[in-house]
Amino acid sequence: MLKATLRSFLAHKGRLALSALAVVLSVAFVAGSLIFSDTVARTFDRLFASTAADVTVEPKDDLESQLPSGAVRTVPAALAARVASVEGVASAHADVSVDNITVVDARNRLVGSTTGGPTIARDWHVTDRSPVRLSSGHAPHGPGEALLDADTAGRKHLGIGDTLTVLAQPGSFRVRIVGIATFRTTNPGAALVYLDSSVAARKVLGAAERATSISATAEPGVTDTELKHRIAAALGDGDHVLKTAGERAKSAAEQLGTFLDVIKYVMLGFAGIAVLVGVFLIVNTFAMLIAQRTRELGLLRALGADRRQVRRSVLTEAVLLGVVGSTVGLAAGIGLAIGLIRLMSVFGMNLKTTEMVVGWGTPVTAYVVGVGVTFVAAYLPARRAAAVSPMAALQDAEIAGVGRPLRTRAVVGGVVGAVGAAALAGCAVATRTASAASLLGLGVVLTLIATVIAGPLLVRPVIRVLGAAFPALFGSVGRMSQRNALRNPRRTGATAAALMVGLALVGGMSVASASMSESFDQQIDRTLGADFVVQNANFVPFSQEITDRVRGTDGVGLVVRQRFAPLAVRLPDGERLETTATGYDPRLDEVAHVTYTAGDSAAALAAGHLAMDAGFARDHGVRPGSVLPVEFPGGRTARLTVGALTDQDQAEGFGTRGGMFLGLATVEKYIPGGQDSALYVNAAPGTGADPLRARLERTLEPYPQVQVRNLADYKELVHDQIAVLLYLVYALLGLAIVIAVLGVVNTLALSVVERTREIGLLRAIGLARRQLRRMIRLESVVIAVFGAVLGLALGLVWGVCTQQVLALQGMKALAVPWGTIVAVVIGSAVVGVAAALLPALRASRMNVLAAIAHE
Amino acid sequence: MSSPAVRPAPVPPPADGTAARARGLTKAYGQGETTVLALDAVDVDIARGRFTAVMGPSGSGKSTLMHCLAGLDSVSAGRVWLGDTEITGLRERELTRLRRDRIGFMFQSFNLIPTLNALENITLPMDIAGRKPDPAWLEQVIDTLGLRDRLTHRPAQLSGGQQQRVACARALASRPELIFADEPTGNLDSRAGLEVLGFLREAVDDLGQTVVMVTHDPGAAAHSDLVLFLADGRIVDEMPRPTAEAVLERMKRFDVVRGQVDDAQIREDDAQIREDDLRSREDGARGPADGVRGQVAED
Repeated sequence: MLKATLRSFLAHKGRLALSALAVVLSVAFVAGSLIFSDTVARTFDRLFASTAADVTVEPKDDLESQLPSGAVRTVPAALAARVASVEGVASAHADVSVDNITVVDARNRLVGSTTGGPTIARDWHVTDRSPVRLSSGHAPHGPGEALLDADTAGRKHLGIGDTLTVLAQPGSFRVRIVGIATFRTTNPGAALVYLDSSVAARKVLGAAERATSISATAEPGVTDTELKHRIAAALGDGDHVLKTAGERAKSAAEQLGTFLDVIKYVMLGFAGIAVLVGVFLIVNTFAMLIAQRTRELGLLRALGADRRQVRRSVLTEAVLLGVVGSTVGLAAGIGLAIGLIRLMSVFGMNLKTTEMVVGWGTPVTAYVVGVGVTFVAAYLPARRAAAVSPMAALQDAEIAGVGRPLRTRAVVGGVVGAVGAAALAGCAVATRTASAASLLGLGVVLTLIATVIAGPLLVRPVIRVLGAAFPALFGSVGRMSQRNALRNPRRTGATAAALMVGLALVGGMSVASASMSESFDQQIDRTLGADFVVQNANFVPFSQEITDRVRGTDGVGLVVRQRFAPLAVRLPDGERLETTATGYDPRLDEVAHVTYTAGDSAAALAAGHLAMDAGFARDHGVRPGSVLPVEFPGGRTARLTVGALTDQDQAEGFGTRGGMFLGLATVEKYIPGGQDSALYVNAAPGTGADPLRARLERTLEPYPQVQVRNLADYKELVHDQIAVLLYLVYALLGLAIVIAVLGVVNTLALSVVERTREIGLLRAIGLARRQLRRMIRLESVVIAVFGAVLGLALGLVWGVCTQQVLALQGMKALAVPWGTIVAVVIGSAVVGVAAALLPALRASRMNVLAAIAHE
Repeated sequence: MSSPAVRPAPVPPPADGTAARARGLTKAYGQGETTVLALDAVDVDIARGRFTAVMGPSGSGKSTLMHCLAGLDSVSAGRVWLGDTEITGLRERELTRLRRDRIGFMFQSFNLIPTLNALENITLPMDIAGRKPDPAWLEQVIDTLGLRDRLTHRPAQLSGGQQQRVACARALASRPELIFADEPTGNLDSRAGLEVLGFLREAVDDLGQTVVMVTHDPGAAAHSDLVLFLADGRIVDEMPRPTAEAVLERMKRFDVVRGQVDDAQIREDDAQIREDDLRSREDGARGPADGVRGQVAED
């Protein structure tokens, strides 16, 4: 039996190769992401473990915010002396390290990373723990000198003697590069500027006697943990956070981890899609192989093989396929990881491929995924194979497997579909985001399963409609191709399902994102009243200097600053809410349209007051006039009065729960040294918008980190940010389509083989090769379009339901991107044509006489 | 091959010339020592408006002859004409068009496209060509073959005989210059076989068509105007206005004659193979012929 299994495996290697490709792709993505993240983790563990001081004393960071206030938390530099005096401390140093700066070169071009890596200014303090060493030039002395890291210098073509401008919070200053610092291990993607220790604090913190942290080195024989306890005891207050080298490395790696996690999840997303679509492909391939071999299996049964042997034979074939696919996939995964590591260096992170880590978990996971998926996918077909009766040996091959009733599918699909539809309906009427989102997730999964199960039932009605014009357009060739697609609904359904899954996701995501864009547009139109907004594309705050320069620009009338304020509010219902509030200058009404249900802007922005969303206030028992205890970073507390309630669309998005805002003066009082995140600018009376824009742009020329935007530009910025999400979805779609195409090729190739005699007959009575190719192409197109229509229909439903959930977050507009949808349908037809290329060529090359005589 | 070519005896002059002819038609398979001649310099004329049967034992080259005349197979040597068109040397695309527009086909089995109904199968060659069928002629063909109430049926819903009638209708529908029928009754019971033969006869007599039928059934051959006997790739004899008995007798005699005429080459052949050959020939000849006779007697 094993010999028979091996023979059959080798005999069908062409068809199995297509399935193996699906296994290879999913395993490659899984293995690639594991290898990549292992490599990154080890590299940075090493980096941080070798560079962190034995014990670090940092200011207490009690409020974390997704939106930066721009304020830098500091400790007194004098603390270093106190730490140094602790028994067991060999030395202590007051570190200065800030990442709220921007560095530009002599031609006002950004020196920092443009892809999200931080730009950091540090004091030059050499220890054997320093992550960098001076590789050329000399150490910086005095206020006018600096070192630049070698990677950034290389990327921006800068060298010793070049001049940089550092735009720091206290003010910008110019430095000359006097040396290049090279990373000892790996540059985690940052641009680093080192300043002389004696001037760094004054230059970037604005106060010579401050520091961002104190690092202590232990005397020999004192452990880090011991030292940490001693320093904590000596300092004796709750204002500082102490970390050992190990803890510091861990938290640094975690911070970096969020960025790398994104890459990991994207990769796993690709792997997931590949697995999902691959399952369809494998199921379909095995089902077809078994249908094709029904007679052979019947013969085996007639000769005395029992059901278990037949089933085991098919499953053995699947495991073989899985092993081969996983092995190739693992190799491809290593290649993918190398590619990713190379790609990372484009983003400024110089991982070394020689330090690549392939942990034991990687091959284990690869084989578990590869073999597991293949085994599971082949299980149903294997059972079907075992159910072949010995009588099948005597029957026509194609009839077996076609005629079995689809009643079970109808019932199961109907029930699952009904539950899924109910879940979706539930999410559409739900009023709480959390429950709506989980209902949405449930509904999406169930409706997808239902559509996959019931797909073959939909083949007939949908393809009748889709192919209705074929006979009129393409004559009998069109008629035959339409009916060929209808011939085996199970097969057509399964083939189209692979395409359907990908397109359903795209359909849903594109409706959701179009609705988001539209909602933001409407909201921007409704609320933004300023002529121009000056801000960073990533909402990163900028230094005070920019605000001053904008204010000083000729023709500028009103400037309203916006600043983020992380805070924690104790609500009357007992909840402690950590959120980010927004601070505004008083004349907010002139640059924005805020709808108040109680109070007004004056009351909201008055000193010691704040405003919040009316709905949120109602839910938490807050009334106008309520006095709320508020904590700010650094342990400052205040009691703020609720001065106004607003009716906001978007009270819960982006970590700004509660939709709170307050006067910028209040923010400055409790979070001193913050940076503005946006400036709303109105032209002075008598100044036109265009001349003002030109002047503002001239003003901002030395500050490439911020841009001037009017209403239209601002909308575009928001669209671009949403589009990033879409690109990812399109990439996923691309992968799904590649695998789905393999499925279509597979199905068509088998159909061509099955219909050899029919093709021979058609050729004998005068069907030209071109017509034959067209017939197969049209069949392929109709299958692909069927998958697209089903997928998009499902995706539209998902998208509309997603929008209902988003509406709870204030995104109330529903937009359906018809252009995208039409393009996807046309695209799927193209995919169909492409998938038919090889099978059609093969069919048209058949020898007519041999085909007629084919068994 | 050393036996002398047996020239077909002069045929009674056809009403209007030849529908197809071949000169020196040779078809060889394999190369060098292992070359097998399926057709050995065959000269043949197919009379227009006649029903010609090609008979011979299996392996005699009768199907190959038909395939070459119909432009389905290439020739190794010689020339073939359909009407005035020489088809040897035509390119693939021209041959396809020729088959589509000027030749009708009936095969032993698997004659119809399973996804198309009877009417769609009948008009398929014209649909492929993008031509409209002549409605009057189509009606006449459908009525002649008694397919009026079967037109919307799929092949799976039709009996074997009905399927062959649809195939016959398809061959007739485009009013081709020549209809090739390859063992059209081979898969049918005797009654259905007789029906199909009757229709082919009618197609010639009443509709003025030209039919070439390959068969190994003397009873079927008896419906033709002329029987050509093929053996070892050559036309060895012919019989105008045949009867089943005469054909059967001729087949038997021809077996004996061949046994005597053939030189040592054949005698050296493995005796077992010749025996098998003979037995199959006789099976093919006797069984259906008896059936036909029985059927005739019943009617």
